[in-house]
Amino acid sequence: MAKGFYTDTTICIGCKACQTACHQWNELPAVNDGQVELTGNSYDNTGRLSALDWRHVRFIEQFPEDRSQDGFLHGSRWLMMSDVCKHCVKAGCLEVCPTGAIIRTEFDSVFIQQDVCNGCRACIAACPFGVVDVGQDGKAHKCTLCYDRLQHGMEPACAQACPTDSIRFGEVSELMVLADQRVADLRAEGVPAYVYGKEEIVGGLNCFFLLVDKPEVYGMPADPRLPSDNVPEGLGLSALTAAVVAAGSVVAFRKERMDGMGGEPPPDTGPDTVPHTGPGGGSPGGGGPPPGVDLVAFMSAVHGANETARGRRAEPKAEGGCGGACGCHA
Amino acid sequence: MSAELLAQVATPVVGHGFAPHWGWYIVLYFFFGGLCAGSYFVATLLLLLGDPRDRDTIRLGYLISFPLLILCAILLILDLGVPSRFWHMVFQSKNVPELMFKPWSPISLGTWILSAFGLFSFVAFLGALVDSGRLRWAPVLRLADRVRGLPRQAVVAWNVLGSFFGFGLAGYTGVLVTATTIPVWQNARLLGGLFLTSAASASYALLVLLLLRRGRAHSDPSVAKLARADRFTVVLELLLIVVLVLTLGQASRPITTGGFGVLFWLGAVGLGVVAPLLLHRTALGGWDAHRREVIAAVCVLVGGLILRFVVVMSPQYPMVPLWAL
Repeated sequence: MAKGFYTDTTICIGCKACQTACHQWNELPAVNDGQVELTGNSYDNTGRLSALDWRHVRFIEQFPEDRSQDGFLHGSRWLMMSDVCKHCVKAGCLEVCPTGAIIRTEFDSVFIQQDVCNGCRACIAACPFGVVDVGQDGKAHKCTLCYDRLQHGMEPACAQACPTDSIRFGEVSELMVLADQRVADLRAEGVPAYVYGKEEIVGGLNCFFLLVDKPEVYGMPADPRLPSDNVPEGLGLSALTAAVVAAGSVVAFRKERMDGMGGEPPPDTGPDTVPHTGPGGGSPGGGGPPPGVDLVAFMSAVHGANETARGRRAEPKAEGGCGGACGCHA
Repeated sequence: MSAELLAQVATPVVGHGFAPHWGWYIVLYFFFGGLCAGSYFVATLLLLLGDPRDRDTIRLGYLISFPLLILCAILLILDLGVPSRFWHMVFQSKNVPELMFKPWSPISLGTWILSAFGLFSFVAFLGALVDSGRLRWAPVLRLADRVRGLPRQAVVAWNVLGSFFGFGLAGYTGVLVTATTIPVWQNARLLGGLFLTSAASASYALLVLLLLRRGRAHSDPSVAKLARADRFTVVLELLLIVVLVLTLGQASRPITTGGFGVLFWLGAVGLGVVAPLLLHRTALGGWDAHRREVIAAVCVLVGGLILRFVVVMSPQYPMVPLWAL
């Protein structure tokens, strides 16, 4: 029983009643302590969705730059869209949340449990719609689909406040039927309307939109990606690189030994070092790796081997069979 | 960062999320996490393939790894703002003491990789302390005696398994940032491999530096071995950087242009990769071989830190001047 919003942008009048109702019901404080700041590029002065604006009415002002010519209004228009969390069927924020703070509710909405969120901020970077934001408390915040109201059989505050029914709340499947019908009607009138939020958009959006221009015009991606899309390839390439690093390191470590086996003098052997003892370097087991790999056991084995090897060495430079180089006599 | 500067990065690009404001704590965690894992890996590799002269290096690698891991945990906890929130990462908040494990969440996966690697790192740390005679607590010494009695295959498997977790720790940080919708990061699927390679090269460099500071000569077989492996990983790092930039194309601009670009090319590539290779090849600056080895190692370490700084910061704050970060 997925619940959600169907937002018909063609009948949004940009009154921001939804935004105000959201603030009021959820007790969200005014942005910037109520100080009005002009965005400078739009009549919309709240700008975007944020930790304090869980609803935001976008003003898309399609006017030419040069407005000095007569008739510049021809083809110009305002587009309004009340934006909100999409409560995605495949939600990126929910995927990446490491604490289980973000859950899917019985209404199929995506909800952040504030008492569980620990402020890692992974969800903020995971949302392809720029919805989740970090608040002053360091935790993630976004629309709850008025979870508290739904639990009491009420509709979300924004939908209730909308004066034109641009925002409709209900069963997603029923809302989709309404939206498809509206699209058909608008297309019959020559309006290029379509529904943004069907299955091709991250598995479907429980809060979907009827749009009349490209998604990007409304600030939404045409083909949003989920963060998890990158993980398998990233992990695979990391594993491959790890194998190359390990193999290269083995070759680098073995090079001296292989050079020694070829009868050439070991490179970089300075006067202050222990003479190279050939394959195995005096370790038990000859040319192979030391048989003990536990540090404690290995150290004992190494020390014993060094003591044995003392007699074979031409000129031990320091006290002890290992020539002091191993540091065991420090 | 000031409110004015934050406002410059406040609006995400269409199709991308907000910047998560991962700052210096995360940059340092990525760097020290790499060193922590890399030191363990190098010590284990020497344990398997080394000779008696590597004993000091092995001990050093294990002695470095665990304290760095503790530092990493502290950095991660500090990054949360409220340290007491960390436990939500480990336990199911509504169902304690059930563990919180979401392997498909890179941060959750990383938390458990860090925890699991902590066990291996701690055991190795204890072993190194016992071996160096710094730890003489009877229960630990008895435990060490028991370890000596274990089948060697089991001990081999333990150390190798620990290194696998180390690789996981060094590499998952790169995968973590690709599992976002942030420009540059989401397309940079080589980042995990690049961070892992950089971690290995920085760890080789750190061990070389410490051995030289302990009075070893640059021509000491252990030092020479590490320096040789370092050169290999630095070359691999250069290759990965080139491939990464080429595959990102225009998307790499936040990293490769502007103030971050200068830092990337001069710091991460010039200082961290090219300079160490040149120092090994030529008598650059008229320095003797010992000094060149020291400088090369410092360059690799500084370059590794700058690489992580640029990769973490530039996609989040492309318009913010470097001095403000």
